Amino acid sequence: MPDLLAILGSLSWPFAITLAWLAGEFGQRWTGLPRISFYGLVGFLLAAPQLGVLPRPEAGTVLLLADVAFGLILFELGYRINLRWLRTNPWIGVSGLAEALLTYLAVYYIARGFGVAVINAQMLASLAMATSPATVVRVINEQKSSGQVTERALHLCALNCVLAVFAFNVSVGLWIFRTSEDLGDALLNSLVVLAVSAFSGAVFGLAVPAVLRMLGKLAQDATVAFALAVILLVSITYTLGLSPVVATLAFGLMARHRRVAFSQAQRNFGALGELLTVVLFVFAASTLDWEKIVAGGAMAVVLVLARLLTKLLGVTAFAHLSGISWRKGALTGVALAPLSVFVILLLEHARHAGVQVVEELRAIAAVTMLLEVFGPVILQRALVWAREAPELRHAA
Amino acid sequence: MPLEAFAASEPLTFGVELELQLVSLSDLDLTPASPDLLHLLRRKPFPGNVTPEITESMIEINSSVQTDYRTLLAELVEIRDTLVAAGDQLNIGIAGGGTHPFQHWSEQRISSKPRYQELSSLYGYLAKQFTVFGQHVHIGCAHADDALYLLHALSRYIPHFIALSASSPFVQGHDSGFDSARLNSVTAFPLSGRAPFVLSWDEFSTVYFGKMERTGIIKSMKDFYWDLRPKPEYGTIELRVCDTPLTVERAAALAAYLQAICRHLLQRKDAPPVEDDYLVYNYNRFQAARFGLEGVITHPKTYEQLPLREDILATLDLMEPHAQALGSVEALVHLAHAASEGSDASFLRAQYERQGSCEGMVNAAIQRFRGERRMA
Repeated sequence: MPDLLAILGSLSWPFAITLAWLAGEFGQRWTGLPRISFYGLVGFLLAAPQLGVLPRPEAGTVLLLADVAFGLILFELGYRINLRWLRTNPWIGVSGLAEALLTYLAVYYIARGFGVAVINAQMLASLAMATSPATVVRVINEQKSSGQVTERALHLCALNCVLAVFAFNVSVGLWIFRTSEDLGDALLNSLVVLAVSAFSGAVFGLAVPAVLRMLGKLAQDATVAFALAVILLVSITYTLGLSPVVATLAFGLMARHRRVAFSQAQRNFGALGELLTVVLFVFAASTLDWEKIVAGGAMAVVLVLARLLTKLLGVTAFAHLSGISWRKGALTGVALAPLSVFVILLLEHARHAGVQVVEELRAIAAVTMLLEVFGPVILQRALVWAREAPELRHAA
Repeated sequence: MPLEAFAASEPLTFGVELELQLVSLSDLDLTPASPDLLHLLRRKPFPGNVTPEITESMIEINSSVQTDYRTLLAELVEIRDTLVAAGDQLNIGIAGGGTHPFQHWSEQRISSKPRYQELSSLYGYLAKQFTVFGQHVHIGCAHADDALYLLHALSRYIPHFIALSASSPFVQGHDSGFDSARLNSVTAFPLSGRAPFVLSWDEFSTVYFGKMERTGIIKSMKDFYWDLRPKPEYGTIELRVCDTPLTVERAAALAAYLQAICRHLLQRKDAPPVEDDYLVYNYNRFQAARFGLEGVITHPKTYEQLPLREDILATLDLMEPHAQALGSVEALVHLAHAASEGSDASFLRAQYERQGSCEGMVNAAIQRFRGERRMA
């Protein structure tokens, strides 16, 4: 009955995100754990290799939706980054570099120790430097947390993403070099892509506030304007083969630092952001395959623990110099644990761009799955222990 | 516990307390940053004193006891600079102003100190709505009876301090129409307002305070939220009607003005205060809070209608000899300038017009508080 299958197939996504949303709401109420952990679980269970409710991920509407959702989050992250602060207090940047470098080295040598090829170990190490902005921004907003751990987690998260994109591109460049002997071109190409992406984001960052300014006080709530601009920017960069990640981050940064008018926008882009977040996390987890997770098991556990440790050490080392207590420094390091969504989207795009090595890298599936569920929980605990978010409230 | 004895202090010494706003530089809303800021400040030598307040989005600073306007100002400037530097290190904006223009009281985190938790459960939403920021000025008194005399003689000048310090025109995102909307939050408390008309400390402590204590409603002087109240353990009276101004310079000038008026009053050349002075008190207070310098007050003795701005300028002139004696002429010049140019409330309204949003207004307040150290 091909007709019925087609109908069921077209229902799978609406069904999946509704289920994920319900799981998130009830799960959060009963356990107090972050909603996005449940979105990830549902996405993983319903995915093609598991229960098979969702179709295999392809470049298409859902990936675009996920990109838009991620773009909205990156814009918000960019908007919360204060470059002047990083200049006034250079130790924050130093701790970010230290923590990322330590992570890179640790992950590279552990992967080599498990017999991973050099090039794959480099890619793995690059990706491990990142901290997932989606998880960090979502959990911080959901917890309504604020304080030094919160502020620093946001700033270090943005820094880690830029470093990871850069290192990953270099690794991909090296991979292309080995297969097509064209390192120079590959490097130049990825640098140009980054620069053009950042530039297009910056143009949006100048244009949108200017338009709002022209509207004057009519624009009391700028949420819709910024959301539309993010969607437009993601679509443009997606179509032109640019990096939506860098573009939307630059958009947020520029919108903040060149703000001609201070305008109000809802956290998380209100209901729109809420909805797209469900799609994003369900999609991200649905790309994972349990067979590969099992295959990567032991190494994944070691990698996750090593990464936790290096981030903790790197940030804690500079805590006192940067003006916070050792305790808050350590908790900031812990708060950098989330990784999944960022890595998954980067890999999806690399895959669609024809980087075949990514298929072998799927061993990272285990790492991302572990952190898809536990990353938000670890971050939430760090914020609560730092007394920057209220204790868990749930009905139980 | 009976009221403690009034500790005599050097007459006309003074000190200032300022409640300051801690603001997120991302969305310019209040942010509960005081634990982090206090942690950092404990690591550096710090002039004066800094303490946590009822919500974690607020800190209080206070000067030491001073005799001279210039040293008071220098100390406040030093405290300000230390605070601003610490704020820069932690990405926290610090601002004056009697209210935060768009914070929502329901989102404020109450400090974990037990006393604050008790206040919060007693007063409910009043406690959170009390996220307002005031300046308190202490004046030292040689005798308890001097303190009570000053307390009541000063009632005629309360509107001056309200109008000159007013810096809270916006509440919950809207222009309240008041220059000092903060005072309305204070007035909501059951034990706010004026002190009872008693001129002898014996009578005040044994009769009035003793009776109030027996009612069980109050335990200490801290439970009274009066506009002016005696502080027996310091040997001072405390003026509490001022909004925290946008700058420490204005705060120091207000303290010097109060000092000069007290010097004048203690010479007892004016007619002594009487209970009937309070007939016009609440209405004058309202005029000053609502219309600021444009308000019209009623003279408590003559019932003459006085435009507040003119009354302030005339009083500043009258106080000049005292300021000469106390070394605070510059402070009175500063205030005369403020009285003619407009208060902090009108500055904030102008910023709202110019920037087009409450966020822009908060940003302007942060910049103004920094003084010379403006951010580019």
